[in-house]
Order: sequence, then C-alpha cells, then structure tokens
Amino acid sequence: MKKFLLFVLILCAAGGLYYYLDCKNKAPEQIPEPKLSSIEQLKDQKLAAQRGTVGQMIAEDLLGGRSEELLTTFEKYVDAVSALRQKKIRAIIMDEQPAKRFVKEIEGLAIMKQELANESYAIGFKKGNTDLVNKVNAALNEIKSDGTLDKIFDKYYNGDLKQINPDEIDFNLNADGGKLVVGTEAGFAPYELKVGDSYIGVDIEMCAAIAKKLNMSLVIENMNFDALPMAVNSGKVDMICAGFTVTEDRKKNMDFSENYVVNAKHVALVRADDYEQ
Amino acid sequence: MTMNNKTRGDYFLGLCLIILIFLLYRSGFFTVEAWQNFVDHFYQNFIEKDRYMMLVKGLRSTIFMTLFATLIGVAVGIILSVIRVAHAGGIHIPVLNALADCYIAVLRGTPAMVQLLIWNFTIFASARDLNKMYIAILAFGLNSGAYVAEIFRGGIEAIDRGQMEAARSLGLSYGKSMRLVILPQAIRNVVPMLFNEFIVLLKETSVAGYIGIDDLTRAGQNIQALTMEHSQPLIMVAIIYLLIVMFLSYLVRRLEKYLSRSRRG
Repeated sequence: MKKFLLFVLILCAAGGLYYYLDCKNKAPEQIPEPKLSSIEQLKDQKLAAQRGTVGQMIAEDLLGGRSEELLTTFEKYVDAVSALRQKKIRAIIMDEQPAKRFVKEIEGLAIMKQELANESYAIGFKKGNTDLVNKVNAALNEIKSDGTLDKIFDKYYNGDLKQINPDEIDFNLNADGGKLVVGTEAGFAPYELKVGDSYIGVDIEMCAAIAKKLNMSLVIENMNFDALPMAVNSGKVDMICAGFTVTEDRKKNMDFSENYVVNAKHVALVRADDYEQ
Repeated sequence: MTMNNKTRGDYFLGLCLIILIFLLYRSGFFTVEAWQNFVDHFYQNFIEKDRYMMLVKGLRSTIFMTLFATLIGVAVGIILSVIRVAHAGGIHIPVLNALADCYIAVLRGTPAMVQLLIWNFTIFASARDLNKMYIAILAFGLNSGAYVAEIFRGGIEAIDRGQMEAARSLGLSYGKSMRLVILPQAIRNVVPMLFNEFIVLLKETSVAGYIGIDDLTRAGQNIQALTMEHSQPLIMVAIIYLLIVMFLSYLVRRLEKYLSRSRRG
C-alpha cells in the first residue's frame, strides 16, 4: 500500500514539476509572425483537417507540394481543435456550421471571413443502388416541400444543442418495412452528435423523417469518417449521411441523393489572437 | 544515524508531498479560479446529464468484449498448442501442424487493429444484422488465441519430459497422458500468464471504436465531442484502465503466490 502511495506521489510530483515548468516556459513570447488576415497566407502554414473530408482535399490543394510536410489529418475534430489551441497548427480547414459551434463554445477561436469552397451535402449510396436512391430522393423531396427539413435546419442552426432531447427523435422502430441502416460519424455537430445512448443532429432527424416516409426503422451506425465509404460499398450500411460533400471524385465510387444542404461553406478555423480582419 | 527502510520511506513520502504541494502552489493550482474551473469542467464532462453513464456503459462493453475474447483465445490456444506439441513429440499430423503454424504466424504477424478492420469490413462485409460486438470478440479472441498458443506451448514444454515418458510406460496412450498428466500441470503453470493475456486484451480492445463499438475509449471520445473538452475525458479513461489493470495485476500476484504454495505442499 505504501509503495503504491509512494508511486502515485512521485507521479504527481513529476506531473506538478512538468506543469510548473510548462507555465514558466510560456512567458517569453515568440517573435510574432504577421497575423493571419487572408486565406493566401495559409499556403505555407501548418494546417489540419479531418481525415477523408473535403477539408483535407482543400488543404492539400492549398499547400500544393508541401502538404505532406505541413498538413496533419485527425480522426476527431476535438483533437484538431486541441492542436490548434496548443499552437501546433495554425488553422483547421472544416465546414462552416461545426466551426461556428466551436467558436461559440470555446473561447479564443475565430473563423476567417474568406471562404475556401462552397459545396453541397448529399446522402451517399453504394454505386448502382438506384432503387434506394430513387426512394430516398422521393422522400427527401417530400420533406423538403412540406417544410420538415427547414424546421430541422432552424432547430439546429439557431437553437441550443444542449436543450435538444434525443428521446424526442422518432426512429420509427416499430416499422414493418425493414431496417434502414445509416452510417455516420457522430462528432460533427450540429449535423450529428452522440448524446448518451442516442444521437441528435440535422442528418439524424432528416434520416428519421426519411425512414418514416419509407416505413422503415432507422438504425444508426457510428464509425470513423474515413471508414464510411468502405462501409457503404461493402453493404455494411445502406447509406451514409454525415455532412457528406458531393465531389466529382466521390461520384466515381458512389451514388448520391439530391443535395439537402446547399451553400455548405468550407472555412478556416484559427485562433482569435492570431487573426486580423 | 541509523535509519531503517520504513522510516526512510516515510521521510521520502513526506518530501515528495511537500515538493508536490509547493509546485502546485507555485503554478497557481490552489487559486479559487483554477479549482472552480476544474470543478466546472468536471461537472460538465461527467455529471451533467449523467454523462458518466457513457463511461460506465463503455466500460461494460470493454469488459464483456475482453472476457469473451479471452475465453475464445484460451480455447483456440489450447487446441493449437496441443497440435504443435504433439507434432514435435512424435505424433505426426503434418496438415494440422502446418495449419497451426500458419495460423500463429499470420495472426501474430499482423496488428490486431488491422485484423479487426478486415473482419468487420471484408470478411463480415455483408453481415448487417450481426452485432458488431460479436465480430470484435471473434477478432480479438482469434488474435489472442495465437498468443495463448505460444504461452501454452511454453507451459507444456516446461513439464519434465520424464512425466510423459512415465505416463506412456504405464500404458497410457499419448492423448490420455497429455490430457490427464501433462495438461493439468501445464495449465496450472500458465494461469498467471493467462491473466496477463486478459490484461493485454483489455487494453487492446481500445481500438474497437474503429468499427463503431462504444467501448471505454470511444465513450471518452464521445464525451469529448459533446463537451469539446480534450483532456479530462481522456485522463479519466486512462485512470479507469489503470485502476482495472492494477487490480488485476494484484490478483495475478496473489494467484502466483497461491499456486507456488500449493505446489510446495
């Protein structure tokens, strides 16, 4: 027991020492590089993006031949934001809505005004699964025209995520039309987020509405973003709905529904003290 | 001045404590704001909306997965090791032996995470209604089987050759001598190592999040995504793993002591 206490204490002492030295080392300010003011400056800076996203492609284009050296890809956005706050990277290339949420919830972050790209989100299907694409498109058009989709957007873009109760989302579990298995990466608020045992988000509620129209029960499969194309093409999931941007490259390997979000901007998330408008 | 080990330990402990308090004090750890900040974040990460339940459920699936994977591992391991030992001991079963060799080489030669992804996305690609948990148990269990086989082989080979010779000269068949004489002793020798395998697996299952199982690690990541805080959930997850592993290591030590005592008697 005493040995254990000793061990823990030494560990704590080492941790305390590290923490102390860390605080001390912070004092001398580095010679300030010119603060960021335009997207052009990002061309030779350390950038980050989530693996497999359009943000990664944009960053690669931006950095050109130096992307191997300067671009870090992360599995989860939280990791990328931590790296940004620890000054390991200068900017994260990501979608506007999630970036807005980070700015709202974490102090000291800012979004660069200039946008990087303007794209659309759609639901992805296995190549050749035309039957399901048509059915989902029909359902999507219905919820677009009866205003359901706009209500969902309003709820998530303007409301407080913390107030949303996941139990209110109807996954239509008693439907007799079989299962609609949807793959997603639930770390991408406001589009998808895991709360307790369940999920909330624009994509989740939209899929729930679609499942209802198709008389199917909705099953959410939560996985890493870069595993999603693999999952839909192997048949693990019927479709993927994860703020998935339509690109020409992706169209070669996948079928897409009609767009449900247009004007999905990609922006650069930076530290507020590093940004001059 | 003479000082026995015990008092020296006490002094050292006290010294460490003083240094720790001093350092924490100097780094502003005892200010009200820092403490309040810590408590706020702690509340947000674990208490608010019962978020600790995510960790509890994650822990439950981690332990469930580890337990059954170890059981599969032990079963597969015993079979494989017996095949290999029998082959070396004169019962020639070339096809089975080659298969066992191949199995162990492949499963030990590739990372468990890669195997897990292959099981989930390639082999069971179209098995949609199969619970992912079973796939993970199978993947980790078969992987562990290759390691357990080596553990058992070591355990069997550690039994004196004379035992086998004596059993055979008494007229027991090879299978019977193996089952009744060698294996019981070998199993007793390797039980602590099997517990260690359990500990290794417990940590290895932390990659199960890749196929979408909400194990303990993934639960921590889910909390991260909810509260957008990086350190606390991760450190909490680490502490939970550490406590379980330390408890299990303690059990292993007790078990080793117990086993060595009963052998002496």
